[in-house]
Amino acid sequence: MHSTGYCQALEKAAEIEVPPRARFIRTIILELERIHSHLLWLGIAGHIIGFDTILMQAWRIREPVMWLAEEITGNRKLYGMNIVGGVRRDIPAELHPKILEVMDHVEKETRAVLNAVVDDSTIRMRLEGVGKVPNEEAIAHSILGPSARGSGVAIDIRADHPYAAYAETGVNVIVETGEDIWARTVVRIKETLESIRIVRDALAMMPRGPIQAVIDKPIPPGRVACSSVEAPRGETHHFVITSEEPRPYRWKARAPTFQNLQVVPLAILNETIADVPITLGSFDPCFSCTERVEAVDVRNGQLKVYSKRELEELSRALTRRLRGR
Amino acid sequence: MFKGKIKEARICFAHPRVTLKYPFEPLEPPDGFRGRIQVDVEKCIGCGGCGNVCPSRLIRFYDEGDRTRMEFILDRCTYCGRCADVCPEKAVTMTKEFETATDNLEDLYIVQELYMGTCNRCGRCFETENWIDKIPTRRHREGALFVGPAMPHAKPVGEVGG
Ligand code: SF4
Ligand code: SF4
Repeated sequence: MHSTGYCQALEKAAEIEVPPRARFIRTIILELERIHSHLLWLGIAGHIIGFDTILMQAWRIREPVMWLAEEITGNRKLYGMNIVGGVRRDIPAELHPKILEVMDHVEKETRAVLNAVVDDSTIRMRLEGVGKVPNEEAIAHSILGPSARGSGVAIDIRADHPYAAYAETGVNVIVETGEDIWARTVVRIKETLESIRIVRDALAMMPRGPIQAVIDKPIPPGRVACSSVEAPRGETHHFVITSEEPRPYRWKARAPTFQNLQVVPLAILNETIADVPITLGSFDPCFSCTERVEAVDVRNGQLKVYSKRELEELSRALTRRLRGR
Repeated sequence: MFKGKIKEARICFAHPRVTLKYPFEPLEPPDGFRGRIQVDVEKCIGCGGCGNVCPSRLIRFYDEGDRTRMEFILDRCTYCGRCADVCPEKAVTMTKEFETATDNLEDLYIVQELYMGTCNRCGRCFETENWIDKIPTRRHREGALFVGPAMPHAKPVGEVGG
C-alpha cells in the first residue's frame, strides 16, 4: 500500500505510464490487503472487549488470505509487488481459480460472522452509543477512512480520486451513520465484502499485456509529485521531490493514524475507563505511524535538530553496538 | 439475546481445529516464496548488479588486486528479492528457507572471493572463464580450428571489446 503510493508519486513525477495489467494487479493486491487488515482489526476489537471467540474466528478466516498473498507475491506481508513503472510479478491464469476459491470462502465466513454479531446483544451493548464521533466533529477534525465513514462522512480516495484500476472496477463507498464504535465495526465488515467484489471484478476485467513500463530515460530531477492511496485505515499520502541521484531528494509519507487520533479525546469524553481501550482501538491506530521524536536538552530546554549526517552516524554506532564490534 | 450466541457457537463447532503442527512438523512454503538468499559463486561474474539494487545496502564489493571480495551480510536482509531479480547469471536465488533465527550472526554472512581477469587493453574486468571453456565438451574446439592462411574474404570486422 505504501509502496503503491510511493511508486505512483514517482510515476507522476517522471510521467511514466503504467501498463493496464499492472494497474489491475495493484488493485487486487491492495484489496487483498484490505480484506486481511479488516479481519485482523475485527479480531483485535473482539479481543479488546474480552470476546476472544471473535479473535479466533476472524483470524481463522483471515489466514487463507495470507497464504494466498504468499503464493502470489512470495510473502505473507510486505509483498514487494510494486516497482516504479508497474509490478514485479504477474498473477498467472493458473492462480485465478485459487483466488476465487479463497474469496468465496472468506465471503461466506465473513457473512456468517456478520450475521452472528449483529444478533449478539452483548457485543452491541459494548459498542453501541460508545466512543461517539458526531458527523460534524468528524469533518472538523478531518478524520479519515472507516473511522470517518462510520460517522456518515462519505470519503474514500478509491472513489474520489481513482488510482490503479479503481476507475474500471468502481467502488461502493460504505457509509454508516451510527457515529459510534458499532458503526465503525459494520463499515469494516461490509468493506471486506466490497473488497471481495472488487477482487473478483478486477480478476475478470484484467487485460493481457506487459506488467512493467519500459523506463529508458532517467527520472528528471527537481520534479514534485504527490499521490494518495486509500489504506485500510484511511487515506495515505506520499510526497516526492526527485533529484539528480538515483534516489529522491525528499520523500514524505503521511499515514492516517496521527490524524485519526486527534478525535480520541472527544470520543472518550464522559465514558467509563473500561470503554477507553476499545474506543481507541476502534480507530485502528498504528502507533509506529504516529511516532514523532523531539530531542530536548533537559538542562536548558533547548531543542536539538539532528542533521542527516549526525543521524547516520548515530544509527551506524547503534548497528556496531548491536553487532558487538 | 441468545440468537447471536447460538450462531457464534455454530461457527465455532463447524471449525474444530485449524492450527498447524508447526514447528513439530516441517512447513513447506509455496513456490516463488522469498526466503533466505543463496549465491552460487560458480555462476557469479562479479558484475555488482546485486549490490547496486539491494535496498538494505548489505551486499558489499571490495576489489583486492585481481580478486573481488563479495560480502553478503544478511542480518539486514528484507527478503525483497531484488538481487535475484537483477542477477544476469541467476547466481542469486531465493530459497524457501525461512527459519533464519540464530544466536550467531556469522550464520548470516556469505563471503566469497572471485578472480577477476582484467583486459590488458581497456583495463576492464572480463568474465574469468571463457564462454567456450564453459561448454562441457570443450575439446571440440581443437578439431574445428582452421590451420593455414586465413581465407581471403574473412576480413576483420573491427576491434573487438573496448
Ligand atoms: S533480498 Fe533484498 S535486502 Fe536481501 S540481499 Fe537481496 S536485495 Fe538485499
Ligand atoms: S548480480 Fe549476480 S553475477 Fe552480478 S555480482 Fe551479483 S551475484 Fe554476481
